[in-house]
Order: sequence, then structure tokens, then C-alpha cells
Amino acid sequence: MSLERKKIPTYLGYLATAFLLAFPFVYSRADYDFIMHLWITAFYYAILASSWSLLAGYAGQFSFGHMAFMAIGAYGAALYSNYIRFVTNPTGTCTEIPFFGQYLIILDAQGVTSASNSCLDIARETLPRGTVITQPSVWTGILIGVLLGALFGFLIGRLVLRLRATYLALFTIGFSEILRAAISAEIDITQGQAGLELPPLFPVGIFGYAPTDKLPTYYVMLLVFIASMGIMTWLVNSRFGLFVRSIREDEEAAAALGVNVVKYKVRVFVITSTIAAAAGALQGHYIGIITPNILIILQMSLVIAMAVIGGVENIYAAAIGAIIIQFVLEFLRNSFDIGPFVIDMSIWRLVVFGLILMLTLRFQRNGLIQPLLDWFSRSDVAAETVAIRQQESIGEPGGGEA
Amino acid sequence: MEFGYIFWWTLLWVIGWGIIGNIVTPRIYLRRDLDVSQAGLVGASVGAATGPVGLIPLWLRTPQLSARWSVIPGLLVIVILAFAFAQADPDNLCVASSSFIYSQLSNGIVIGIIYGLMALGLTLIFSILGVVSFAHGEFYMIGGMVVYYFLNVWFEGSSPIMAILAACLVTFAIGVIFERIFLAPMHSGEVERPGEYAILVTFGLAFFLQYLVQATAGANPVKAQRFFDFPQYELTSSSGAEIITTTRGNLSLFDAVSIPNPRFTAALIAILMLILLLIFLYRTWVGRGLRAVSEDRQAAAVAGINPATMNTLAFGLGGMLAGLSGATLVQVFSWLPQVGVVASARSFVIIVLGGMGSLPGAFVGGLMVGLFEAAGAGCIPDPTRAAGYIPAYGMIILTLVLLLKPTGLFGREL
Repeated sequence: MSLERKKIPTYLGYLATAFLLAFPFVYSRADYDFIMHLWITAFYYAILASSWSLLAGYAGQFSFGHMAFMAIGAYGAALYSNYIRFVTNPTGTCTEIPFFGQYLIILDAQGVTSASNSCLDIARETLPRGTVITQPSVWTGILIGVLLGALFGFLIGRLVLRLRATYLALFTIGFSEILRAAISAEIDITQGQAGLELPPLFPVGIFGYAPTDKLPTYYVMLLVFIASMGIMTWLVNSRFGLFVRSIREDEEAAAALGVNVVKYKVRVFVITSTIAAAAGALQGHYIGIITPNILIILQMSLVIAMAVIGGVENIYAAAIGAIIIQFVLEFLRNSFDIGPFVIDMSIWRLVVFGLILMLTLRFQRNGLIQPLLDWFSRSDVAAETVAIRQQESIGEPGGGEA
Repeated sequence: MEFGYIFWWTLLWVIGWGIIGNIVTPRIYLRRDLDVSQAGLVGASVGAATGPVGLIPLWLRTPQLSARWSVIPGLLVIVILAFAFAQADPDNLCVASSSFIYSQLSNGIVIGIIYGLMALGLTLIFSILGVVSFAHGEFYMIGGMVVYYFLNVWFEGSSPIMAILAACLVTFAIGVIFERIFLAPMHSGEVERPGEYAILVTFGLAFFLQYLVQATAGANPVKAQRFFDFPQYELTSSSGAEIITTTRGNLSLFDAVSIPNPRFTAALIAILMLILLLIFLYRTWVGRGLRAVSEDRQAAAVAGINPATMNTLAFGLGGMLAGLSGATLVQVFSWLPQVGVVASARSFVIIVLGGMGSLPGAFVGGLMVGLFEAAGAGCIPDPTRAAGYIPAYGMIILTLVLLLKPTGLFGREL
């Protein structure tokens, strides 16, 4: 066999990447928009699930606040695009800061039902002719969201990661809830459950595609997905990955060998939070509206279920798991009747997934995708060899003396 | 809404000196080669309470510290903040009306007792299995749901006591079955990295239970009728002042404190259960066995206690306590499949505050969180916002505890 079995996953990976890159041009059925939407959402979940698996599977730090960082990214971008404007002349009514020859103004919060004009609308009457008001760039907003995610990741990491793993799980679940409560309660700023609107990723379109076309977003999301996988692969294979895994295996032993445990835990936490924030900011711009519901526990549970069912100890397995499960969940939406009972699949599918999550954890700890990858990389053979050698050394009568 | 700057400046002052005390004190102790384990905590609390007045003598004399040193400054901080708040917002109901204060206090205590009961279940599980159950809130939710369905759908008009017993039974059974299938293999070495496994599998259970209930019971809020009516009663002192007056739905004491019936009943049931639990833990063989396992697994096994049975029992009991608090609170709050999430988070706060695995800690922590939430919900000027932020109050406590004393009030050293 000329093709090494070990290499097959790599080749399949290239093949899959090529397929995904070509897909929008090849596919042309009537449900094009729907399928494209599914892919974009699948990439979004894949980014989240794989970065969560880097944090949980490699570093052993179980955060239930991954979606909170995602939401920080999304809300950071949304608040920026909603409340920041650039004006060439001072308005006199808004909070304004001179900014490279222009004025950066912060709009006053309007709330959901307010009928009054914002400070900019009032100023418009008096502004001299020729004044240009620019919407801020979408990409700066995304960058700000991502930086906010990193900042919060750093602060929370510094607070909690010096303690045992359980504290991180306890704290992040609470953090997620407090963030949701705050976003829901600060209706004046975030518009609460009504949701905050975001402009599309390309407000004026690009390469002849309209702003609502899914193709540009598809490629942006795909590229971010590939880039995050690339970064994480590099991290995992570097010394950093080694340190992080040593922390997971035995924190005390790693510390004794000179790994600065807290530093590396904080680093991996910041990196994964940043990736989550980037995914959130992009998805926010894609969907066009964000509500506090993006960080209900269900979303976090879904990401965890995806990572675990795929294989939490392998970022590729987690990403593949996320994509497959996203499609399966989407196609399981149709409700049906059994006799007099209406089976509402939109809820029951989640029950089934909860059950699969628990059963996977119990009986197939490595997930359902990872064993496939392992089979190719023959690590099962390696394990077998180790076991045989161990057995031999125990079995040999003189083995103990050497 | 008039909300003066006095309060914010005081808060800033307190936090600023707290941070300074927290950072500088351990350095000074370290330089003098003294024990620094409590220096951060004591420095922060002394700094927050007294500012430079207390910190400078502390830095100059560097006495031997223990955690007790932070109790009085801690209380002082609360007094200072309360005073600043009263100055800043004199018209606020929780400054101006003493009967409102007493009612909030008593409500805080009443609800705190139930929080404590729930957290007790979680800490019981943790002390014996070494596992934090992330599905604890779901047991609470199921307890409430069972009571509602028992009284309003399955057996209409039956006694609430039967419903509560049914809720206990159901949650106990779920706990036992789950422990047998999913957690028992952890202790026999069948599962790699049991700590991580436990976090994930209980989280999976929470996900599963929440959506199972939503799928079967629907997502509409439900609320049970109050369990019992108070007898109509009135007691006045000889001078004609009111001592106790009860109407069917309310109890008022000294014309100042008013406790709604559902909360009162809930607290009463909680106290009753607490006494039963203490008798069970301290007076029966099985209860002693449980405590023995929490002290030392191996030694308990040598003494003839089967740790596996105790694990199952502890998980079932812990779930049952959560179910019981849910069962008593379903007449107070409206009930949704999602109520468990906030309840879970609150229990986590309580057990960290009280010290992981400490039974008295869970109870005291429950009371403190109950009072703190009552103060927050009652005093923040904008009532809708105050209610929205209820999960946040606990998180403030949790952050402070993790920053200053991660072992909690009664915790064993980590």
C-alpha cells in the first residue's frame, strides 16, 4: 500500500478543506441559502467546540463560560457599531473626543421605546454643511470585541485559575448567568430581549455580492475557522501544548518540573476566550441581531455536547463533531405525532443529545470521532505494544532485578 | 432617581484601600519573614474598613494574624457602606421605613434557610463523593415540578405533605439511579481522570433533565397554591399594641415585620428537615457512616462501612435536599424548567462561601446569601433592575471570596 495509513486523515483534511472552499460555487440547488446558512453556523459552532476542547481536553480546565466570552465579543462589536460615530465637525451635543482630525462621538443610549432623537439627530440641525458622519468600520468593532474577550479572559483567568479546576467551572457558570442578567437588565444600552442590531459584515457588499448574500460571510467564517484550527494545531504541537498537557495530567508534577502552572493555564484560557469572542463577533454581524439568549446555558451545553461527542481530547474531532451535530440537529427539527402525542422534536432532540452526551462520557470517553482518527494514526497499536511490553517485563522471572 | 455621589465615592475609597491593604500587607509580612497566609485577607479588610488609620499601625507592628482579625473590620465595612448609602439616598424605602427593613431582613433569613438547605445537599455530595454536582439546580426544579403536578394534575386536592414526600422520593430516586450508572464507576477506577469526568457528566445530566422536563411539562411558568392557610389569630399586648396578627396569607409581628405565608411555610418545612437531617447524620449508624466516609474513605472502609453504598446514599440525599427546597419554594416563585440554573449558581456561591464540604458553612452561607440578596433586591433604587440582577449579587460574594479567602468561611485548607 503506497498510501500510509497514518497520513490518510491529513489528506482527508486537505480534501475536506478543498471541498469546503469550492462548495459555494459547486452547489446550486434551490435550498442554497439554507444550506449556506447551515454551513456558516456549523463553522461557528466548530470554532467554539474546538477552542473549548483545547481548553478542556488539552489543558483540563473546564469552563462553562465559553459562550459568555462569545457574547462579550458579539456585544463588544455591537455596542461599538451602535454607539460610535465619526464626525468631521464637533457636534456640541454628544460626548466627543478629537480623533485624528475627526471627532469620535459616543451616542447617548436610547432604550427600546424611546421616541426622542439621539444627540446626533439634534446636532444634525446645526452642523455645518459638508460635515461627514461615518459609521465605524465593522472590522474595528470585531477587533474591539475580540480584545474585550481577551481582557475578560485574562481577568477571570487570573482570579480563578490559581484554584482547583472545579472553581473555574463554578465561577464561569455564574459569570455567564450574571452577564446574561446584566445584558437583559440594562435595557437602555443593550435593548435587553429586544436585541441589538448589527450591520452585515460587508455593509456595502463586496466583489459584486450584496450585503445579504451568504457567500462572503461563508468564506470569512471558513477562513476564521481554518485560521483558528491552524493556530491551535501549532500551539498543541509546540512546547506550549506539551506544558498544557502536562498540567492536565498532573498539576503538581508539572509545577515540580518547572512549568509555571498558573501562567500557562491563564494563557490557554485567554487564547480560547479570544477565539470564542472572534466567533461571537462574526456570528453577531452575520445574524444581524443579538439578544441575551445567545448565552443561555443551552448554547453552552450544545457546544460541550458537540466537543464531547466528537472527542474532547482532540480539536479536530471536536470540530468535526460540531459540524456533524449542527447538521443533524437542524434536520431533526420536524415534529411528528405518535398517536395522540405530539412529539415536539425541537425539544426532544435536545433531550436525546443530553442522553448521548452522558452515555458518550460514560462508555466512549474519547468521543465518537476521535477513535476513527486514532485508528488511522495507529495510536491504538502503540498502546497495544506498550501493554505487551509491560506484560512481558512483569512476566519475566528476572525482570525485576534489572 | 436621586442617587448621590457620596455612596460611589465611599465605595471607591473602601475598594481602593482594600486593594492597597491586600497587596501591600503580604509584602511587608514577607519582608519580615512572617506568616503571610492571612495577611492578604486581613490587610484587605482592615484597609477597606479603616483606610490608612488601621493599615499603618498594622504595617508598623505586624502582629501575628489569624482569619478572625478580619471579622470586625468586615462588619465595619458593611456598616460604613450602609451608612454611606443612607446618606446618599435618604428617601429610599430601605433607609426610611423601618418596617420595610425588618420585613426584608426576615424575608432574607427565611429564604436564606431554604437556600442553606439546598446548598447543604450540594456540600453533602461534595464532602462524600468529592464531586460538585452541576445538576443540583435541576433536582431543585424537579422537586418543584413534581409538587405542582402532584397537586394540580395527578392527584388534585391531595395533601401537600404527600406531594412533598413524592418530590423527595422522585429526586432521591433520580439521584440514586444516576449515581449507580454514571458516578459509581468513577470510584472503582474504571474512569480516567474522575474529576473532569464528574464535572462533565453532571453537567450532561443537568442538560438532559432540564430538557426532559421541558419536553414533557412544557415551557410555561406554573405556580402551586400555598400549602396551608394560617389560622386567623390576633394577639395584642396589654397596652393594646399588636404582637402577632395572622391573616390567611400573611403573618405580621409587632406591626413591623410581615412574612408572607408561603415563605413562612417553606422555611418551617426547611427547618424541620434540617433537624431531621442533623438527627440522621449524628444519631444513626448510617449517618455516622456517611460522615466517616467524608473524613477518610479508607479508614471507613476498614471499619466496615461500604463507601460505594455511602456514595449512592449521599448523592440521593443531596439531590433530595435540593428537590425538597424546590418543593417548598414552588408555592413562592413561579416555576419553569429553567429555574434550576440560577438556583445552581446560587448553591455554588453558598458552598464556596461556606467552605467546600462544610455542613455548617453551607447553612451560614445560605443565610448570608439570602440576606445579601434581600438587601440588594430591596435597596437598589430601580426595582425592575434590582430584580434582574439577583443572580449578580451572589457573584459579587463569590468573586470576593475567591479573591480574599478561597477556602471559604469554614473550609478545610486546599
